Amino acid sequence: MLILTRRPGERVVIGEDVLVTVMEVSGQTVRLGIAAPEGLPIYREEIWLAVKEENRAAAAAADELPAPTEALPTPSQAAPAQSAPASAEAAPAQSAPASVQAAPAGGGDQRPS
Amino acid sequence: MNSSIDPTASTVLESLRFGALTIEPEDVLDFPRGLIGLGGRHYTLLDRNPGTGFLWLHSLDDPAIALPVIDPRSFFRNFSLQLGEDEHERVGAEDLDDAQLYVTVRTAPDPADVVVNLRAPIVVWERRAHQVLNTAPGADLQVRLFAPADAP
Repeated sequence: MLILTRRPGERVVIGEDVLVTVMEVSGQTVRLGIAAPEGLPIYREEIWLAVKEENRAAAAAADELPAPTEALPTPSQAAPAQSAPASAEAAPAQSAPASVQAAPAGGGDQRPS
Repeated sequence: MNSSIDPTASTVLESLRFGALTIEPEDVLDFPRGLIGLGGRHYTLLDRNPGTGFLWLHSLDDPAIALPVIDPRSFFRNFSLQLGEDEHERVGAEDLDDAQLYVTVRTAPDPADVVVNLRAPIVVWERRAHQVLNTAPGADLQVRLFAPADAP
């Protein structure tokens, strides 16, 4: 592994088109800015590992899937299964359109352009 | 590995789970970045359990890879998808309501233990697919799909 020492404001160039900038160092926290080509996904390692594990676990499914008719659908993600009363009349999704929207700009993980 | 898929001809998928299947070009999904941690460029959706809401997202590059998926909007009334600006651009659909949406299912013998990954849904737009990170509150990695049978 290559180990470099950098100060806030200094950068590391990876290949021709990935630029990592040390934005700020505060105690145990380093804030990085990453400029990379369009479409190149950038993940925090822990979330990347966790999603990878879920994908692999899903791919290990038995050929026979659970029969949903034998179980009750959870009413919604807003009311987790643990606390929600199971109801045979749980309304199907069609009756309440899901809200799907893009997050407004300005989140913590915006890619600098 | 089947790294090149002819976009004009049907493909024979020698699925390890389901045997030989003919996949029409219009049923091929292109994953420019693959699935997180699994890779693969080409997948298709198989409806092996009609009426259940479960589909199989099957790799065309690796005959061993197939994941059960559901449309989260069919199972979770309040499902919400929020993407960073960058990912929204990558997906291509202006209005995410118009895109197809799937989440992977981690199956288990007991339906009460079946969980879905609402954190990393798969968005399909014009046969291009991306696994994205959903930043909506409550969109966790493991969300129970069914209430336990003995729930109060």
